[in-house]
Amino acid sequence: AQHQAIRPRRCPGAGDDDADEMTVFHFLNCAVLTFGPHVVYYSATPLSEYDTIGTSVKAAVVYLGAALVKLVCLATFLKVPDANDSFDPYQELMKILIGFIDVAGLYFALTQLTHRNISQNHKFQAVGLGWAFADSVLHRLAPLWIGARGLEFTWEYIFQGLEANANLVMTLSLAALGSLMWLRKNKPRTLIPIIYACALLLATMPSITSYLRRSLEWQTPKVVGFELFSSLVMAFISWQLFSACQRPM
Amino acid sequence: LAGAPLGSRAAALNHHAAAFPLPAGADLSRSALVAPLLDLPLAFLREYLAEKKHLGGLLILLPRNISAKNVEGNNDDKGEPKNVLAELEKLLMHEEVPFPVYFAFHDDNLDNLLADIRKIASSGQPASASTGGYKLVVPSAEPKKVSSPTISNIQGWLPGSKGEGDAEQLPTIAIVANYDTFGAAPALSVGSDSNGSGAVALLEIARIFSRLYSSPKTRGKFNLLFGLTSGGPYNYNGTSKWLRSFDQRVRESIDYAICLNSVGSWSHDLWMHVSKPPENPYIKQIFEDFSDVSKEMGISVGIKHKKINVSNSRVAWEHEQFSRFRVTALTLSELSTPPEFLESTGGLYDTRESVDVESVMRTVKLVSEILARQIYGLRGRNIDVFADNSSLAISPHYIRSWLDLFSRTPRVAPFLQKNDPFIVALKKELSEHTTDVHVQNDVLDGMFTFYDATKSTLNVYQVASVTFDLLFLLVLGSYLIVLFSFLVITTRVYGPIHFCKHN
Repeated sequence: AQHQAIRPRRCPGAGDDDADEMTVFHFLNCAVLTFGPHVVYYSATPLSEYDTIGTSVKAAVVYLGAALVKLVCLATFLKVPDANDSFDPYQELMKILIGFIDVAGLYFALTQLTHRNISQNHKFQAVGLGWAFADSVLHRLAPLWIGARGLEFTWEYIFQGLEANANLVMTLSLAALGSLMWLRKNKPRTLIPIIYACALLLATMPSITSYLRRSLEWQTPKVVGFELFSSLVMAFISWQLFSACQRPM
Repeated sequence: LAGAPLGSRAAALNHHAAAFPLPAGADLSRSALVAPLLDLPLAFLREYLAEKKHLGGLLILLPRNISAKNVEGNNDDKGEPKNVLAELEKLLMHEEVPFPVYFAFHDDNLDNLLADIRKIASSGQPASASTGGYKLVVPSAEPKKVSSPTISNIQGWLPGSKGEGDAEQLPTIAIVANYDTFGAAPALSVGSDSNGSGAVALLEIARIFSRLYSSPKTRGKFNLLFGLTSGGPYNYNGTSKWLRSFDQRVRESIDYAICLNSVGSWSHDLWMHVSKPPENPYIKQIFEDFSDVSKEMGISVGIKHKKINVSNSRVAWEHEQFSRFRVTALTLSELSTPPEFLESTGGLYDTRESVDVESVMRTVKLVSEILARQIYGLRGRNIDVFADNSSLAISPHYIRSWLDLFSRTPRVAPFLQKNDPFIVALKKELSEHTTDVHVQNDVLDGMFTFYDATKSTLNVYQVASVTFDLLFLLVLGSYLIVLFSFLVITTRVYGPIHFCKHN
């Protein structure tokens, strides 16, 4: 008996092709949201005019080094979290202390690296930009590449992109305060505690958000909203402080 | 079948989901239709198949309790799922279906999915790439041909006791039942009534007669041959091969054979189907025995005669294969008319709820009493050999546990390997009661070709539309432009001015 194989006809441009294009589209969208602002910042501000890319690259390398040191410390000092996920103050304190390695890294990038003749104003911006860009690449690029191309749609990567934006603003603010603390010698006496307080707040921001997420169980949209809002507030405060310190005594 | 494609040979699915009621202008060639069984209009499906229209795929949701006998509500609802399912199966099995058809059972997730799809559809737009919704994906390779579908016939003997002077071979009575099934969805074809009931009845008969035959004092002067055959839905191909494998002398020693088919859901009437005319003395004798015992039991057994047409390859009853080898045989069944090809072979509606233990028990009692009368010469004497509460009583627990097992196991022969655990279990069980147990493996007749891929995992994705992505890109673009402008103004334009002012 003859056996005729009948293959189901695939219509040209069937649904599956559209879906693949769609998800790459979504990936590109989220990637632009995550990394676009860094590029925009560099090109919009005078940073591009003065060719400060070298500074940013050096800052990025310092960031990676600091991340490595943090990783080793976390692995050494932190216990494996147990199932009931209780709030252990000692663990949290440990995490905050390890978070200060970031601050140390920023200090190193701002003070120890030799930069070409760049004004203080641009220095902290370049360092902050490089730092934030490295942070986004390290923490957000891989999940984006793997996840956003999937078939199922989630808001996750859009939130991640918004977080990257908030992170950029906060890093720039911290870099500004850092340059005030360590590079500028004559500051108005009254402002010094405020500067240090704001810097402390910015440095502990990651711990604050993780506390909100874990213990208060805030949902991701709320957390991201908080991050964006607080980053704008801190940026404004830092800007005011920085311009206040610009005035000659 | 003989080169003509039947049923669906498509397995992979990757389309947007749609549901009834369909929005106007819906292009179903790129959609997978999700429909509960009772919502699916058969006329619609028939139209699609007849006009060879393209449908992306079909997912039919079955109620958990398909053939529940005590369904609340009016009488009309009782038979409806069963009838609809039977018609649907017939349609799917006898037509060429160019799209994948899947069956799933209702559960909370699927019900929510269906409600969501309907909500999206009611907004007026058909499901497609540009509007978003749900996507049903079944990642499945193209179904391959099953290369040599095997059928495994299992047989066991209870040898009778030869007297001192008996030189010739003892006569044999054969009890036969086919244990395999076929349906539109092979992974769901558990065939509880067709023919799980027959096979379980055979096992129980073997069990109680093995008790009688275990002691030489009560061993009869007849051999008993038990045969669990395969290949039933395909014109009892397996039975024919099994009989062919016998030595001619053994075959000729078979006095008669009783084939059991669908004996699990009758209450009062059973039918004895024969191919030799009822006037034949052997048939007459057997029918008299049946009538006597049935009268005592308060049931009725009717006789139906169907002549064999040798030129017609369709074999509707198992006994016809015996008759072709000139062995007297009959089929005992609750069905009064011979089933059509691929009908009553254990389809989707034939689940555990469609059989009951009492019917099988009654069948076992009937057949056992008749055999006892023949073997021990008890005709005319009013003796109840297998009385309740005796050591030879028929066990409802045995029947129930085997019916449960049969109802959990889909048994489509081409998808049952030679060493499938179920076949091994049947062989083991038969060895408990009989001796000389042998499994005969053979290849199914070349007229039938089967394609695999009976079970898959369905992935349901919630997808966003292209419109959403474009909108997002627009918003993103505006944001970046605003950011750029803001930075330019504050740093290049405003900044120096601010600086100069203070200087």
